[in-house]
Amino acid sequence: MRYDVVVIGAGINGVYTTLELLDRGIKKIAIIEENYPGSGGTFRCATGIRASFTSREHVVLMKRSIEKWKELSKRFSFPFIQGGYVWLLSREEHLRNFKEYVRFHHSLGVPTRIVEPDKIKELVPTIKTDGLVAGVHDPIAGKSNPFTALLNVLEYLKKSGVEVRYPEKAEKIIVENREAKSVLTEKERIDAETILVAAGYGSRGILSTCGVDAPINNLPKHAMITEKYREVFKPLLVDWETASYMVQTVSGGFLIGAELEEEYNKPPMNRIEFLYTAVRIWSKYFDWFPSTHIIRYWTGYYVMTPDHHPILGPVKDVEGLYVSTGFSGHGFMIAPAASEAIAEWIVRGKPGIREAENLTIDRFKEGKLIHEIAVFG
Amino acid sequence: MDPRKIIICRCEEVTLADVLEAIEKGYTDLESLKRYLRIGMGPCQGTHCIPIVLRILRRATGKNPEELMLPTSRPPLHPVQAKYFMGGDKD
Repeated sequence: MRYDVVVIGAGINGVYTTLELLDRGIKKIAIIEENYPGSGGTFRCATGIRASFTSREHVVLMKRSIEKWKELSKRFSFPFIQGGYVWLLSREEHLRNFKEYVRFHHSLGVPTRIVEPDKIKELVPTIKTDGLVAGVHDPIAGKSNPFTALLNVLEYLKKSGVEVRYPEKAEKIIVENREAKSVLTEKERIDAETILVAAGYGSRGILSTCGVDAPINNLPKHAMITEKYREVFKPLLVDWETASYMVQTVSGGFLIGAELEEEYNKPPMNRIEFLYTAVRIWSKYFDWFPSTHIIRYWTGYYVMTPDHHPILGPVKDVEGLYVSTGFSGHGFMIAPAASEAIAEWIVRGKPGIREAENLTIDRFKEGKLIHEIAVFG
Repeated sequence: MDPRKIIICRCEEVTLADVLEAIEKGYTDLESLKRYLRIGMGPCQGTHCIPIVLRILRRATGKNPEELMLPTSRPPLHPVQAKYFMGGDKD
């Protein structure tokens, strides 16, 4: 069997790119997944979606993503709630920085604004704002449900004839005369016109089998969630001082991430101090928080690149080989736009959004890194 | 008995009919069923429902338990109030 496209990795980016390819008339597609669909970053993520970033590439792609989240959530009956983000600032110097970010957002059409503590109380009922100098509100940001966002689309792909193979490990990419030819899995050799590597950190290993170096590293992350409660507030909150976030997920649990010092590429371990850190930070803001029940604590990764921006698009030296990884903590939110760009690249030779062209893997060799000042939680 | 009246997961109110329908749709491993139906994501963390679903899934698919992808157990074992992590000497 020969496929038009073989996608390695059934995370949100592999799945959404397959959808975009189908929508462009490409029919013979196989997705190969080592574990189960969504099993990497997608199903462990914080569910937030925003365009308020500090690089042109991120802002432009994420703005497109928000438009696409609206369309896709309607088409595939999953939630996308535009409840906004609120950053909580406790230092004057942070406020000064954010004033600059806000000017940058406005220059690219993202309507963030600095808000007074009283306004924070309106946006976030029950919050205590003692010690805060200000907040920053991003009204077009939102959240979704990663489970239905992935599974509903995957069901559609299967019905449309896409072959979803899991668990099956892709072991080698075969390149002949600088052309990507096949994927060798633990079971068989699968020939393809085009190969897309969208396997999170696993992309590094599989790309190395055909001599392509992806400078990505896994940074362990920690998250916890409480039992479900009725809706208390809609926005995702970021405590800027500690880079911790809290969001009441679409399902109703309060999901919290907080920073612990971690080493790259170390298997993540549960660490009891994570729960202490998370609870201390958010109990200061909410009197009711200490009485909630924590039901689950899990770990995951950010797949980091040197400039904290994704690796997207074709590999210069290997015809027919594309990459979509290294999202540095933002793979879920960017998936609709990144997937559209990759599909356009494969079908029409250009990504549609011009800024995506700055994100190819060759930028690392060419020294054209992108700088992003704000990576949260 | 009507499978719509047999509750498999009490935390998330999932019935036997829901489970059978999901299996029919192609959710034939526990990890995927968990995300699709939210079984095992409530306060019991799967201690009640997962063994039951495992048996249903084995009967329906004929797969071995290893192929059914048992979800990772995550702490805490039982829901714990956040207040127990406020003080103390653990930094």
